[in-house]
Amino acid sequence: MSRRNRNMVGLTVLIVGLVAGLMYACRTTQSMSGPAAARVYVAPGAYDEFYAFMSGGFSGQVSVYGLPSGRMLKVIPVFSQNAENGYGYSEETKPMLMTTFGFIPWDDSHHTELSQTNGTPDGRWLFINGNNTPRVARIDLVDFETQEILQIPNSAGNHASPFITPNSEYVVASTRFSVPIPQRDAAIADFKNFSGTISFIKANEPGKMDVAFQIMMPGYDYDLSHSGKGKSNGWAFFTSYNTEQAHTLLEVNASKHDKDFVAAVNWKRAEACIQEGKFTKLSGEYYHNVVGPDRVARSEVKQGTKLITPKDCTGMVYFLSTPKSPHGVDVDPSGEYIVAGGKLATVIPVHSFDKMLKAIAGKQVETEIDGIPVLKYDATIAGEVKEPGLGPLHTEFDGKGNAYTSMFISSEVVKWQLGTWQVLDRIPTYYSIGHLMIPGGDSEKPWGKYLVALNKITKDRFLPTGPELAHAAQLIDISGDKMQLLLDFPTIGEPHYAQAIPADMLKDKQTKIFSLTENKDRNATLSEDKSRVERRGNVVHIYMTAIRSHFAPDNIEGIQAGDSVYFHVTNVEQDWDIPHGFAAMGNNNAELLLMPGETRTLSWVPKTPGVYPFYCTDFCSALHQEMQGYVRVSPRGSNVPLAWGTGGLNTSRPVATK
Amino acid sequence: MKQSSRVMLAVAAALIALTFVLPLWHINLQAPQYPEGLGMHIRLHTVSGAQPHDLRNINSLNHYIGMKPIVPESIPELRYMPYIAGLLALCALAAALSGRRWLLYGWFALFAVVAVVGLMDFYRWEYDYGHNLDLEHAAIKIPGMAYQPPLIGSKQLLNFKATSLPALGGIALMLAMLLGAIVIFLESRRRRASSLASAALSAIIAGGCAMAPQPIDYGKDQCAHCVMAITDQRFGAELITTKGKAYKFDSVECLANYVINEKPDFESLWVTDYERPGTLVSADDALFVHSDKLRSPMGGNIAAFKNASFDELKQQYNTDVMHWPDVVELLRNTAADAARAPMTMP
Repeated sequence: MSRRNRNMVGLTVLIVGLVAGLMYACRTTQSMSGPAAARVYVAPGAYDEFYAFMSGGFSGQVSVYGLPSGRMLKVIPVFSQNAENGYGYSEETKPMLMTTFGFIPWDDSHHTELSQTNGTPDGRWLFINGNNTPRVARIDLVDFETQEILQIPNSAGNHASPFITPNSEYVVASTRFSVPIPQRDAAIADFKNFSGTISFIKANEPGKMDVAFQIMMPGYDYDLSHSGKGKSNGWAFFTSYNTEQAHTLLEVNASKHDKDFVAAVNWKRAEACIQEGKFTKLSGEYYHNVVGPDRVARSEVKQGTKLITPKDCTGMVYFLSTPKSPHGVDVDPSGEYIVAGGKLATVIPVHSFDKMLKAIAGKQVETEIDGIPVLKYDATIAGEVKEPGLGPLHTEFDGKGNAYTSMFISSEVVKWQLGTWQVLDRIPTYYSIGHLMIPGGDSEKPWGKYLVALNKITKDRFLPTGPELAHAAQLIDISGDKMQLLLDFPTIGEPHYAQAIPADMLKDKQTKIFSLTENKDRNATLSEDKSRVERRGNVVHIYMTAIRSHFAPDNIEGIQAGDSVYFHVTNVEQDWDIPHGFAAMGNNNAELLLMPGETRTLSWVPKTPGVYPFYCTDFCSALHQEMQGYVRVSPRGSNVPLAWGTGGLNTSRPVATK
Repeated sequence: MKQSSRVMLAVAAALIALTFVLPLWHINLQAPQYPEGLGMHIRLHTVSGAQPHDLRNINSLNHYIGMKPIVPESIPELRYMPYIAGLLALCALAAALSGRRWLLYGWFALFAVVAVVGLMDFYRWEYDYGHNLDLEHAAIKIPGMAYQPPLIGSKQLLNFKATSLPALGGIALMLAMLLGAIVIFLESRRRRASSLASAALSAIIAGGCAMAPQPIDYGKDQCAHCVMAITDQRFGAELITTKGKAYKFDSVECLANYVINEKPDFESLWVTDYERPGTLVSADDALFVHSDKLRSPMGGNIAAFKNASFDELKQQYNTDVMHWPDVVELLRNTAADAARAPMTMP
């Protein structure tokens, strides 16, 4: 072997050694992902630590996820029709989507909010707002069903909603879009005469939500809110932008002022003014849709609200000067610090509640707008987080003295310390985070273990699915000094905001079945021998039962084209997780999905004669495919008699297969 | 019957009465899609689901295999069983209160018959449900397949694993029966100590823990209580301490007074069978008679009998017949009376 060759061999050995060494190093680096995987791994059959409730955004619904696994557990239909289970299609649920504008099959749901007791989530209810047609819904956390929807009158774009007060006294609502109040025909250029409203909705009694009072506000855009807590209990804070009052090309025209406002509303003062009669009656119809004890939704149309004008109720509203077009306004667990996310600001301004009270007492007032004193920035500011990143939007807290702010433009979460205003850590998000959520992170006692980033842009994070991509959520471990990304998972619609609560607070109180003995639906058929068909003119009511694996009746004759047919189907099972479905061919309607013990009604207007099959759509049993039946539709005026049965026609007592 | 026997019978009566509230038997059905299980409680008067809707769900599933729905109202036994259980409890209570042996034996015999017939009947119902299937309407038909759950134990029936076990009420009944057997054993042992079986059993029980007495050397050994020589072979007595040391006495009263005064830690007490002089028997197994017809050395006039029955002694001596604790109590009271009496002797 020549010397040159020997050198080559030596060099090769060296290179191979280096590469092997590097590969080893890389291997050890890669194994760092091991702990992250283990921390989000929830073994088959095991449960997650938290329920997370994410708003559905433009889906109009709420989605429920388990944390830390990121597994989707359920979609709760709220503001949008849900053909999947017949919500908003069945006769019992259609009233839920009624408004003064008529039946609306959709909304844009933005912010979930858990009910609270003593400033801490208590696991009773979840509230969510409808942004497009102003509404607030209440979901019961015993059955994860929407129980109540209240329309907000004299409002447009219900965005700063439904943030809750510490003992669930109120959830709030406000106008993102100022409009003429009361509504009227007006030139858009007349915008200076438009107004906003902030509404307080009584929220602590199920089935009794109502607008307690509304506050007339200058015609700005009211964006987000959070209630005071602890020492600041009794106050609620709202961000506003477009103090320029632009009505066109807002991206430019509403971004001119260096400072916009955080509105501080003393709602206890407002209650006192109502007591003292310092309000006017504002007209305005609105709908209140409630599920009754019979599990049937009904609508009530209400009239008028109590309107308080700030100049008639001094001490109720103050403006805190805040840079610049602020989005989130978030109160720390102690209730002292009010953090505003000025999305075009270069700092994160933090107001002090104590300083605010002093500024009010010391009349540190810059100016007054429509009877609302504007407090001087220097008089209320506790500190500014310098160079936090770009586009701060929303802040939550871990209960250990730290705050976490989402940065839309620089696409990151920034961790900083309350009091010192020092940035402690930052972690990139993929991509462009909107809101973020720490379980209990907007309450007095956060469970500060995880943070969920709710991102607006997904791009290459998942396998591509054409141009429309799922929004991404990211789970970040915040239990240590350094934040650590654990998991990416896709979501439905666009989750704007989310809430989470320890699983133990909900899992053992879940409804498994609806008791037939408590089924008060007047169209219920509680046992098979009571199943029947009744004709009243052109309307035919079919009282039907469903049980593994047949309907009763499953053969029906005597229906005529053009009849209005109502299938009142009762699932007479009393067994956990045995739903039945019901669908009829050619029905211009959705299906029914019936939980055990539940009654739902599907309407059907057959147009042409024929024999129409119907069947169970939810695989219920080994003989699910046999769970089917027929309706014979005869021509209008036919003399085919009304007859029905299971196991034989023309008998009013169908033979049950036992 | 002894006091302890009567207490045990009263407990047995209470255990039987428990079946009015506790289920007798439990049949649990476990399947892959029923991780929470479906359960049936067989009670005196009905069959109910372990959870509110379990029976309904079991019937709903059973219709696929053509099994008759389980309708408690159609099972006539469930109408009679509360009366039978009530009768059994009352019999046990009557035996306990009266102390009559014939009631004890009568009750136990009835109990045994009810238990055997009851289990056979339960099996018959299980057989009937499991075999007499309505195959015309059954969706699932497997030739040769029967769906009879076991009487006790587990069996796989298609996707369900059926486990049948006594529930708390059934366990209470078993305990009651066990108590009855114990009482009968104890009572019969007292009555016929000579019978080979009970003798063997006593030997096992006694031999396991108690030491045999030392023979008394009559004429030489001294009474540990009155310090007199032990002479009368009809009355000698002995105490074995927990350490195995033997103290000898010339009479039952000296033994009892020694126990009362010295409170020694003893392993066993022995007295002489009056009818077999020189033969020591356990004080616990003996009956005692206090009579002037019996002239015992220290004037206590108490003698022990091993084989004579309670009634015979009562008739023969025309006085109360006692167990050992009664003897101790008698002498304790006598001593107390003496202490309270005015001093008439110098």
